[in-house]
Amino acid sequence: MSELVALDEFVTDEWYPGFKPGFEHAAWSIEPFRTFNREDESRFWFLDFHWPRGMTPLGLIWCEDGYTWGSQLAAETLPLPPGYGVACRIAGTHIYGNGIDVRSEYEVAQRGARMARNLPPILQRFPEIWAERVEELTSALHHFENLNIASRPLRELWQPLFEARRFFKRSFEIHFELMYPLLVNYIGFRGLCQELGIDPAEIGKYCQGYDNKILETDRELWKVTAEARRLGITDIFAANEPENILAALKRAGGPAQTWLGKFDEFLGVYGYRTEGACDVYLPSWLEDPIPPLGTIRTFLQKPHDFDFDHARAGAIDEREAAVEQARSQLSRAEVEAFNAGLESVRHANFAWWNDEHNFLIDLRSTLPLRRAALAIGEAAGAERNDDTCFLFWPELRGLCNGTRTWGSLRGIIKDRRDYYDYWYQRRPQMPKVLGTIPEHVNDPVLIEIFGLHHHFFEGIRNAGKQVDILVGVAASSGLVRGRARVLFTADELHRIEPGEILVCESTSPNWTPCFGKIAACVCDGGGTLAHASIVSREYRIPCVVGVGTATMMIKTGDTVEVDGGKGIVRVIRE
Amino acid sequence: MTVCWLESLTDDSLPLAGSKITRLAELARAGLTVPTGFVVTTHAFKTHLAGTGLAQALDAEIARIKDPHDIAVLTEHANHIQHLFDLHSLDSTLATAITEAYEELCDRRTALALPVAVRSSATGEDASDASFAGQFETYLGLTGAAQVIDGVRRCWASLFTPRALGYRRERGLSHHDSPMAVGVLELVNARASGVAFSIHPVTGKRDRIVVESSWGWGEAIVQGLVTPDHFEIDKSDGRVLRREINSKTVVSTFDYQHGRVVEAPMPARLRERASLDDEQLAAIVTAVKQIEDHYDYPVDVEWVLDQQRRAGEPITIVQARPETVQVTTAKATPQWDVLSAANKYVFNKK
Repeated sequence: MSELVALDEFVTDEWYPGFKPGFEHAAWSIEPFRTFNREDESRFWFLDFHWPRGMTPLGLIWCEDGYTWGSQLAAETLPLPPGYGVACRIAGTHIYGNGIDVRSEYEVAQRGARMARNLPPILQRFPEIWAERVEELTSALHHFENLNIASRPLRELWQPLFEARRFFKRSFEIHFELMYPLLVNYIGFRGLCQELGIDPAEIGKYCQGYDNKILETDRELWKVTAEARRLGITDIFAANEPENILAALKRAGGPAQTWLGKFDEFLGVYGYRTEGACDVYLPSWLEDPIPPLGTIRTFLQKPHDFDFDHARAGAIDEREAAVEQARSQLSRAEVEAFNAGLESVRHANFAWWNDEHNFLIDLRSTLPLRRAALAIGEAAGAERNDDTCFLFWPELRGLCNGTRTWGSLRGIIKDRRDYYDYWYQRRPQMPKVLGTIPEHVNDPVLIEIFGLHHHFFEGIRNAGKQVDILVGVAASSGLVRGRARVLFTADELHRIEPGEILVCESTSPNWTPCFGKIAACVCDGGGTLAHASIVSREYRIPCVVGVGTATMMIKTGDTVEVDGGKGIVRVIRE
Repeated sequence: MTVCWLESLTDDSLPLAGSKITRLAELARAGLTVPTGFVVTTHAFKTHLAGTGLAQALDAEIARIKDPHDIAVLTEHANHIQHLFDLHSLDSTLATAITEAYEELCDRRTALALPVAVRSSATGEDASDASFAGQFETYLGLTGAAQVIDGVRRCWASLFTPRALGYRRERGLSHHDSPMAVGVLELVNARASGVAFSIHPVTGKRDRIVVESSWGWGEAIVQGLVTPDHFEIDKSDGRVLRREINSKTVVSTFDYQHGRVVEAPMPARLRERASLDDEQLAAIVTAVKQIEDHYDYPVDVEWVLDQQRRAGEPITIVQARPETVQVTTAKATPQWDVLSAANKYVFNKK
């Protein structure tokens, strides 16, 4: 029996105050991005945990050129036999999504035959293909960083903005082009392992312990932290809120000044990243270093630095032991199949690529677009540097070609900021699912990434009741008890104190530094391939994902016990 | 011929010796170790029925069965038949032949009164049908000619259980076409016993031997009274893939006072202890593979580890039969192929 969550309230054809898109607003392959309409109620929609803040008008380019175009193009190109990619909607400013099914059996068969030709060579050539894409991405970013767009007149800024959008779009073509084959590879292997009788909780371990760019960043962040300890400037961090640290360090001079030189070196290499995925509204660490400074501040609260070598060696030992354990319980013929599958998922390793691509795509592909948009704002005389994030594409074009004036947009921007803030506040109450809720979801991608499995749906059904035991997916083993810190966005991330248990909708790559200080992680969404699951295994802390409504059931300050091996979270109420 | 020794049986002996004993003799000829013993033939069974008038009484009783699906009706008739068997002792010729054979068995094993296993060995359709597994009686540890003769008579009677009566009636079969032979075999002094399969009885995997084992005789396992230790061994290289040592609370042990095997609580010191070591396990695997090769078909086997057995010596086989149930679900060992894995596990296509 399916149940219905009404979406009346979200039905509108206005994307933001004062904007309805014209025909062919953006290119699409199967189904365009848009707001909800009545017909959407017959379909199933889940709140996408990747974007807990909501999206600004310019940020909605992600929905058009990234999520919709990128996923649908990749699903057509591989192709994915039963799916056309992602359908994307917004309720207020919040993104809902779902897969689009291919309903024709004939077409599924045709697509299956095409996939059979395309998939194996992609997986075989994955390291070469990825190296080519990395070169393309990094040289493009270099190109945009070197563009001299400061103090240029408005009419000269349209072209850089246009090119930056093209780059953004291309980045997400690459993103989905490789995401689907790697996912298919891993989920296929996972299926084989389960057929061989291997405990599902073991399978995630086989791909862990491979270094990636995000871990590298975290490691370097700890090195900068150690440097602050060495220089004896810990007190400056302790005495100031994150937003005041930079000024305090500059005032202090001496060793603090020395340290700032090191910190700038760090940002020069690792600062091209935002505090959230695919969102042009977010500044990079270079533009706004408060998040890394706040993180260093809390790192310094820990008596010891996080020992990455130890964690990595532990992750590798655990991986190799898990593989040996699996092999010892398989017959020789089964070991051959297992080894071949393992070779395939290590050669084209989703768990490794997940954070590697996050660093190179999700956390930075918006930066050229943001830089161009901010330059337009500056040239137009904007009050706030990111005002242009609240304009739509035709409005920016009008501004650049002189058909719109800043004065005609000022009031709209104010309204839209209010609108954004209004929906930002509403985020914790947004329905996790909308439309016609199925009994269960079969799509393994939705299950493993978004965590739409039975625990999640049970959690949703229990919403409103007080539940002390929450059940989800066992994502990373270990048992720990501690104080809960419930977060909805990364904005307060640098305030987490060492030893706290992070409770959130989900984590994104920008959250990883906090894994060096939290005791455990609990997420509403996610499956074994979710970001939190993968990173928890690397940091070797307990993690339970796909709980459904942990952020509603648990309050900051509650004592919770997390059993990552069993997938159980207990709320200890005094 | 009332009684035949196992070593005198041939592949054509099934109508005389029943399938269980014929197969056991066949395994002995193939080089496996089986208990010494003889079979009270189907000829003896027919002679007993004809000589005592039981044949007519049985026919009359069976003819009175109205509803072969009503278990209460069948049970009532079966009880009558058991009573008829109780009323008719073996005639002196038959009794003497069995007594003499039993005495010779004692002499061969240099025992005054050798405990034996008395095992039904059916012929006809019933014999190979797995649904009849365990239907026909087996008595372990009977001692002395009088107990053996009584055991033979009760095995004969077990051809007429309610289920067997119903089964034959439904299919229009007659017990005349499937007379019962009874094996009388030396009771191996069991240190441990159990079953073994050359195909996984649940998953149908053919790449492994599954062994279940407990202390003492195998009755407690066969009747499901004990959770045995469970082992899975790679057929190709002999590695132990699974080793579950379970808490074994019941043991089939020899009751010297009454001269038979009975069920008793497992001594505490043995409960959690592994009932087989690797060398013993390997000996079982060797035997099971040999039997599977001999039949060129998956098999299930009952085996006994003799208390006198020394390392390197073979295991004793007390029963083996083709595994008919699991073969239908036998699975090929999975192979890694990303496309078939994708279709099966990602896109939910079979």
